[in-house]
Amino acid sequence: MDRERAIVDERRAGAAIPACLLALLVPGAGHLYLGRITKGLAFLGAIGALFVLGVLMDAGLQMHLGFDDPLAFLRSLAQMALGVPYFLARALGFEAGKVTSVTYEYGNTFTEVGGLLNILVVLDAYDVAVGRKR
Amino acid sequence: MASHLLALIVFSTLVSVVFAILLRENGKDRLRFALMTFGAFVLSAVVVGWLMYPFPN
Repeated sequence: MDRERAIVDERRAGAAIPACLLALLVPGAGHLYLGRITKGLAFLGAIGALFVLGVLMDAGLQMHLGFDDPLAFLRSLAQMALGVPYFLARALGFEAGKVTSVTYEYGNTFTEVGGLLNILVVLDAYDVAVGRKR
Repeated sequence: MASHLLALIVFSTLVSVVFAILLRENGKDRLRFALMTFGAFVLSAVVVGWLMYPFPN
């Protein structure tokens, strides 16, 4: 019995790393990998919508590294937590945003909160992988 | 999306959905939690907006 449990725990631990990496790359992908299809699609839809709407509202996606402006650094980290969509949008030319747009700050908030929520989703994928949550 | 209220409602809906799925396990609890979170977001934003009304600058 203990041996069976150890084998199951080992399998779960093995799934945790790829699940977390996938979740960090694409919101919801970790849950899809773990077979939690509904949950994964819901995360992909909700966080994806936050990001797309944020970009459409002229959010700035500049990558600010360094501590000369700590708040801009934290803001960049939050956006980067969205993974592939963030870097894809930058590659497609949505990096600068439009500072004069009336929805610029809303766009920033949507994209930053999307990234922060994705960090929680990564932690949830870990919990699901190790059997702490369903 | 130039409407502040629409942006607030869309933002609150999406964040409430993610919170509900993360923090509750079954469908009924999730729905209740999402509605409560959504209501709290919208209500608090409207209340804070009214509190700031006398100080436009």
